[in-house]
Amino acid sequence: MKIEVFAVLKDFYDKQFTIGETLKDISELKRYLITQKPEAEGILGACRFAVNDELVGSHYNLKADDRISVIPPSSGG
Amino acid sequence: MTGSPLSRQAAGAENILSDQPLQLAELLAASHHPGAGAVVLFSGDVRINNLGKEVAYLEFEAQEKLAVKMIREILDQATQKWQLNIAVAQHRLGKVGISECAVVVITASPHRKEAYDANRYIMDRLKHEVPIWKCEYFTDGTHKWGGNCNCAEITGNPAEHIYEFNSTAHEK
Repeated sequence: MKIEVFAVLKDFYDKQFTIGETLKDISELKRYLITQKPEAEGILGACRFAVNDELVGSHYNLKADDRISVIPPSSGG
Repeated sequence: MTGSPLSRQAAGAENILSDQPLQLAELLAASHHPGAGAVVLFSGDVRINNLGKEVAYLEFEAQEKLAVKMIREILDQATQKWQLNIAVAQHRLGKVGISECAVVVITASPHRKEAYDANRYIMDRLKHEVPIWKCEYFTDGTHKWGGNCNCAEITGNPAEHIYEFNSTAHEK
């Protein structure tokens, strides 16, 4: 699955990267990302997730070809 | 009423996200409607001071597809709720200088209360919900990703927000 992160998350992760591991759902993805960068745990707790440009909940079942956006709290305007 | 539809898109308002300066005068000129007695324009401008420091400029980024879709939905919901004649929102991306407009919201309705209320509603939801982010660059060389929406720290839920606007206005 392809991951894209935004804003402050770019201080922790590459802007775009691929995960080869099988991850069941968004909760598992979140845990995976925290394992990779424990210092991002706080901000990840406030993030929403979108799959293929649609917001999804933590129980969304991930598929291998999903394109996932990790969305920190908004700060537009 | 004339034969005009109740609501329509203002000319020039198609590009919801833009890396070019927003054309407020042109957007406003295109936002008059024969059914509207009130037109409200809000311009969110870049301020020179924040966090006690001098701001050099801001830089905005977005999850563009999702941001455009969400802004369209917010505009549609506001149009229905307040029976607006016109609802426009545009947001800058990239580098935006001091006193430049980062976001514009225009609402037009038969009477002013609806245009004011809808304008605040659109702006409020845009700031809290839409995946757009600013990074503030200060004149001392530091930078900070903006945190307009810290609601999750209070609500414990990234999808639950505390709005400036009367919460009853957010019923869908």
